[in-house]
Amino acid sequence: MTCPTENHNPEMLVGYAAGELDPETSMALERHLSGCSACRSMVAEQTAVWRALDAWEGPPVSSDFNRRLYRRIEAGERLSWWARLTMSFHPIPLRRALPLTATAGLLLMASLLLQHPNRLAPPAPRGEIVRAEQVERTLDDLDLLRQFATANAAESTHSDAM
Amino acid sequence: MNDMGVAAAATLDYDAELMLRVKEGDGTSFGVLLEKHRASVIYFVYRLVQEQAVAEELAQEVFLRVYRSRSSYEPTAKFKTWLFRIATHLALNWLRDEKHERGQERLDDVSADLPAREVADQRPSVEQRLVHQVKLDEVRRAVAALPDKQRAAVLMHKYEEMEYTQIAKVLGCSESAVKSLLFRAYETLRARLAHMGTT
Repeated sequence: MTCPTENHNPEMLVGYAAGELDPETSMALERHLSGCSACRSMVAEQTAVWRALDAWEGPPVSSDFNRRLYRRIEAGERLSWWARLTMSFHPIPLRRALPLTATAGLLLMASLLLQHPNRLAPPAPRGEIVRAEQVERTLDDLDLLRQFATANAAESTHSDAM
Repeated sequence: MNDMGVAAAATLDYDAELMLRVKEGDGTSFGVLLEKHRASVIYFVYRLVQEQAVAEELAQEVFLRVYRSRSSYEPTAKFKTWLFRIATHLALNWLRDEKHERGQERLDDVSADLPAREVADQRPSVEQRLVHQVKLDEVRRAVAALPDKQRAAVLMHKYEEMEYTQIAKVLGCSESAVKSLLFRAYETLRARLAHMGTT
């Protein structure tokens, strides 16, 4: 027999510890174990695990388990077709439904943005345009004042000369 | 029951045949299936979730689903495989939601849910009982620390004596994946529990 440890076949050793192997394979493995310390060690450890797990018994079952179950079955049988239909949606708890709803909402918004990119575009910067117009107007006013001042100065020079 | 259904069930197992009778409206057969598998489903779920009340509640849900889906039942696999697929699905979902809610604190609190019969009393065997209790806690913690799928695979292999092919069908993976899950799980358990064989 080839060495299960060297041959990467640990399930054979696990199977042996669990008593799953057929008698012929078991005998062949036992012959191998007598000369292979690696396999022997693993079988000893696996047997210890198996025994430790054996000690863990199941809990006592409630005496009213069946009664409670049949009551639930009868309650389900009495439900209307609509209640049975909606019941199939109940298993999704709210805490799991919320992220799903949020994700669906985000996807919907993203698709809207992709289809109508202008609809949700930021508003035009109206304040800045108003300010530019004001500046323009002010410059025009200053220009008029300058022209007015020049005209005044020319007029006063002319009157002085007279 | 139609002839094809009977033939399919006969090639599978007696439980599948019973389930086909349930499908035909035979409530007694459901009772037989319940009596036969009730304890193993409860124990399996209990060892997965490690809370007795939750285990019973989930086991109720398992049998409720079996009953409710009777009309669509087809014996494509062994009845036990189908039953444990439902049980594993429900238990792993519960564990996922529970982990999400409470993190890993349960792993440090497994001894809080011990049945009352295991509480040490004042009889002369108190020391042995305490030693046994300590070992049992260690086993429970070691199993609880396994990843969910590894734990389910070990429990089905060890306590239900299910074959690799059955476990693979329950977990929805390949047989080689099951072997890998079991190998890693037992490797972890050997590291944590092998000393118990020498003490």
